[in-house]
Amino acid sequence: MASVAAPFASAQKANSSAVEGHKVVVIGAGLAGLNAALILQRWGCEVTVVEARDRVGGRLWTLDHVPGAPEAGGNVIGSNYGRVIHGAHVLDVPLRAPARTLPNDYLIGDHRILRRHWATAAANPLPDGWRSIPPERLLARLNENNPLLATRAWHRADLMAQDQPAEEGLRAMGFPEAALQLINANNSYGNNLTETSLMSLYRILGELGRLSGPELAVMEVADGNMRLPEAMASKLQQPVWLGEQALQVRQSPKEVKTILASGRAVEADAVILALPLPALSRIDLQLPPDRMALMQSVDYHKVVQLHCVIEEPFWQEGGWGGSWWTDGLLGRIFTRPVPGTALHNMTIWINGDDCDLLNKLDANACTERILQALWQLAPAAKEVTTVGHLVRWSVDPLAGGSWALWRPAQAGQSHDAIRAPAGRLFFAGEHTAEAYRGMEAAMESGERAALEVLRLFT
Amino acid sequence: MILRNWRGWLTVLLFSLPQTPSAAEPLSGEQLFAVACEACHSMGGELDHRIGPPLGGLRNRQAATVAGYSYSKALLNTTWTWNLPTVVAWLSDPDGAVPNNAMNYVNALSATETQRLAEWLLQEAPN
Repeated sequence: MASVAAPFASAQKANSSAVEGHKVVVIGAGLAGLNAALILQRWGCEVTVVEARDRVGGRLWTLDHVPGAPEAGGNVIGSNYGRVIHGAHVLDVPLRAPARTLPNDYLIGDHRILRRHWATAAANPLPDGWRSIPPERLLARLNENNPLLATRAWHRADLMAQDQPAEEGLRAMGFPEAALQLINANNSYGNNLTETSLMSLYRILGELGRLSGPELAVMEVADGNMRLPEAMASKLQQPVWLGEQALQVRQSPKEVKTILASGRAVEADAVILALPLPALSRIDLQLPPDRMALMQSVDYHKVVQLHCVIEEPFWQEGGWGGSWWTDGLLGRIFTRPVPGTALHNMTIWINGDDCDLLNKLDANACTERILQALWQLAPAAKEVTTVGHLVRWSVDPLAGGSWALWRPAQAGQSHDAIRAPAGRLFFAGEHTAEAYRGMEAAMESGERAALEVLRLFT
Repeated sequence: MILRNWRGWLTVLLFSLPQTPSAAEPLSGEQLFAVACEACHSMGGELDHRIGPPLGGLRNRQAATVAGYSYSKALLNTTWTWNLPTVVAWLSDPDGAVPNNAMNYVNALSATETQRLAEWLLQEAPN
């Protein structure tokens, strides 16, 4: 049989005469760009990866300087993330089961509620028939009657009626107002329910439903998820150009030139743009105005994270689990033990429009505002908490948010247009993926963009 | 308005941007497998770290019969045998071919590429 080389292991070339020697520039050294670059390199392309940051990984970012090295970006590797798992295996990047997040209790308004008391607590705002559902499980009710059972169903014309504001759709399904308010308080899949497509929620929950099968478990990279893109970058024949921001991309009939902020210019046969849309929109691509407007119209999820290190488990004295779900400023608090130590990592994870207030503050004021809310929830935390790092993806111009969201009428109708090749320009990134979200979406998109480029050369 | 006009600007785009070279030497079945399949499937006969079953010896194999692999109920319940029509149907639209199967995959290949890949898959023998 023919030899089938591992995609990451080497720059082996096979049966690649039509492709060999073509030059490709990849803008963005996240998983999407690196995966595309390695595939193209394997088949003989000369690949230059340029990255505006001083590190690879994009929205994979392990906070190595914080004890426990928490993840500021992509943190979950699903058991069905085949490309990520294969890449890690081939590159000798070990995966492991993550430390378990401590159980969460609730803070509703000023009322602290133990998890076991949720259903009967006076501060539980849900009506009868709904009161036993924890706030973090409310949206999962969509999977009881999810019409998007197939991977590409979110493009089906007969389901386009679902591409409506989620708030209206949920209300029509009988979700009570209190449930809508709780979902809105901590919705990882939209900044608010009015501007989120119900179709998009169905798609996400359908994928999560596949993820949560009985034999499936999540994983992480043993020494930090960023080790994976670092290992991928190490296999490139030409090291990634770090700290190089692309300003312009100019096409002619025979080539495409990328002009960098440093003054350097790179000529190539094709360019893959593997970066989030807010960052992509800052590059002069000379695309039609309608297409630029379409890219700029895609919303990105707002996330503020305050990563803290906890010296002593202050929650134990009150019988609390250590993590919290709140309907206020603190959003959700995820606490995990740091393996081999007495420390815990606590991530205060605020998302959606609640971030707007915080994003208007400078970093110190933002941190202080969050900490004051934490002290109010748990005064005992004050003496044992050290701030590790404040992460604000929305105010990062190279990200613009944590991941793409789809507004009503976008989920089913705009996706194909946003990723369509434009001459010698090709588009990758999690927002362009069809089947997956998260890290696997990035890998999937790089694969598809590489295929499109290979077609250009054959 | 912008969202509803995307077909229009796409048409403009297609006629205004540089034309790409015409296909002279299409991607081989091996190349297509390497790009689109290899992360999840080996061409061997044994299970490994990959999340999909090995595809060695696929020709005329009954579906969902690799020992030890955890198949979806949907695929277990088929009477499919892997041959050119069934492999092409599966690759083209897995959800349409066998609804509720576990392969979360969207085919990015053209019809001719899919055919070429299917032919290559069925030529391979297990390691």
